[in-house]
Amino acid sequence: MSTYTDVASETAPTSRAARPNGFGGVMPALIFVAIFFVVPVIALLLRSVMEPTPGFGNYAELLGSTTYLKIFANTFIVSGLVTVISLLIGFPVAWTLAIMPTKLASLIFAVLLLSMWTNLLARTYAWMVLLQRTGLINKMLMATGLIDKPLALVNNLTGVTIGMTYIMLPFIILPLFGVIRKIDPAILQAAALCGASRWQCLTRVLLPLAAPGMVAGALMVFVMSLGYYVTPSLLGGTANMMLAELIAQFVQSLVNWGMGGAAALVLLVVTLSLYAVQLRLFGTQNTGGR
Amino acid sequence: MLLNFDRLGWWKYALLAITLLTAAFLLLPILFIAALSFGSSQWLIFPPPGWTLKWYGELFSDPQWLASAWTSFKIASIVTVLSVLLGLVTSFGLVRGTFLFRNTLKALFLTPMILPVVVLAVALYAFFLRIGLGGTLVGFVISHLVLALPFSILSISNALEGFDKSIEDAAVLCGASPLEAKIRVTLPAISHGLFSAAVFSFLTSWDEVVVAIFMASPTLQTLPVKVWATLRQDLTPVVAAASSLLILLTITLMALVAVARKVLKS
Repeated sequence: MSTYTDVASETAPTSRAARPNGFGGVMPALIFVAIFFVVPVIALLLRSVMEPTPGFGNYAELLGSTTYLKIFANTFIVSGLVTVISLLIGFPVAWTLAIMPTKLASLIFAVLLLSMWTNLLARTYAWMVLLQRTGLINKMLMATGLIDKPLALVNNLTGVTIGMTYIMLPFIILPLFGVIRKIDPAILQAAALCGASRWQCLTRVLLPLAAPGMVAGALMVFVMSLGYYVTPSLLGGTANMMLAELIAQFVQSLVNWGMGGAAALVLLVVTLSLYAVQLRLFGTQNTGGR
Repeated sequence: MLLNFDRLGWWKYALLAITLLTAAFLLLPILFIAALSFGSSQWLIFPPPGWTLKWYGELFSDPQWLASAWTSFKIASIVTVLSVLLGLVTSFGLVRGTFLFRNTLKALFLTPMILPVVVLAVALYAFFLRIGLGGTLVGFVISHLVLALPFSILSISNALEGFDKSIEDAAVLCGASPLEAKIRVTLPAISHGLFSAAVFSFLTSWDEVVVAIFMASPTLQTLPVKVWATLRQDLTPVVAAASSLLILLTITLMALVAVARKVLKS
């Protein structure tokens, strides 16, 4: 789900008293968030420079080993692939939804929201079964004669990319829809009247006008993909581990809190910097990331 | 003309085809799971040779599945109540307050939404190991509340921002106490916000898996954790049955939201 917080809520409330008030209301939540969110996250990051010995040894090991660098590279490759494919599919869909007759459009919106809110594990399980060697997808491809041996679609890059793209599509379609919806049709009419072909209208008018939405949506999908844990670990193989699973492994199987904290910090820094870029560029904040 | 559906020419059909295919792609796994859960083949052959209810039978006769479903429900219910109450007082403070750093604070409250969940999961896991809350119900509730609270604060703040405070003031002028005015005038007016806060909080906890994987103990796990643990061993159709129930509850709640939005707003 994407949520646009009201950045403009900066406008001061009609204050009759000059003294600050209302702080009592936020106190309980502030205490809760401080104890159970801020402290644990900072404590984890501190462990990355304190354990096993104080210093930046964990970071040196993390960034100096080819094994870990391969995992970073893989995380970026998967996220990049998912982003590009989501954008390629998402743009025409968002465009169609923006101009389609309302009834059909609201039906497709219902499908989008349904898929967004359907349990992530349930959807990932479906793809695990669908993409098996003996699964429906392989069977259909063989029946149509496109292939004569089942393809390896799961436990590899293909599986992760399909599963992640499936999950990210609504997150790119919805913001793009909002952007295209706001474009004034008169601008495109003007372009057509001035002699632009349909193709020119698309590449020189519509696409540039939708570009901010595309960048914002792509950034969001990319950031969300970087931190995903469940889908990549179930649909991917051991050869293409992603960062989130590396963090979980450091902590759960290796009980190496120093390295776990260091990997978490890397993920956190990349995530928050990309969000900062997005906030700078578009002034919106988005949500998600499982 | 590119923004006029009827004047797109053959492009219209190309776009329509991509859109319908994408919708099918999004719908396929959900329908597929439902079908699998009734299929008689243990090897998940599709289309199945016959239809059966035996996976649901297995699900409902296994005390482990039942216990995890009950745990999930209990945790989600407690989280919902706490999240709405805390969200309500916080929203009043954030929307009506005049203190410094109000927007910074709001941003802080919403940060758990954008943080990679695995980072939060690992951080809370470490923290709870130290203070002895790992694998406990309280630990589950707290960690799910961290994730649910932002949704609650957002829904209620948005509703409260859309409410004209002078109506509440009028009630006070007419003799209501400030608290009475809040309860009898303001709360009913923002009830759609409270309702979405409740539903989103419940679903956040009900569907949450990453933090739950780290919170779980052998004796206490939520339904998604049980699904996750089972999936790591094999792809049994019992998981399809469990997944179908997870989905069914989600669809029911989302439908309720849609209905309630119409009723409460009119």
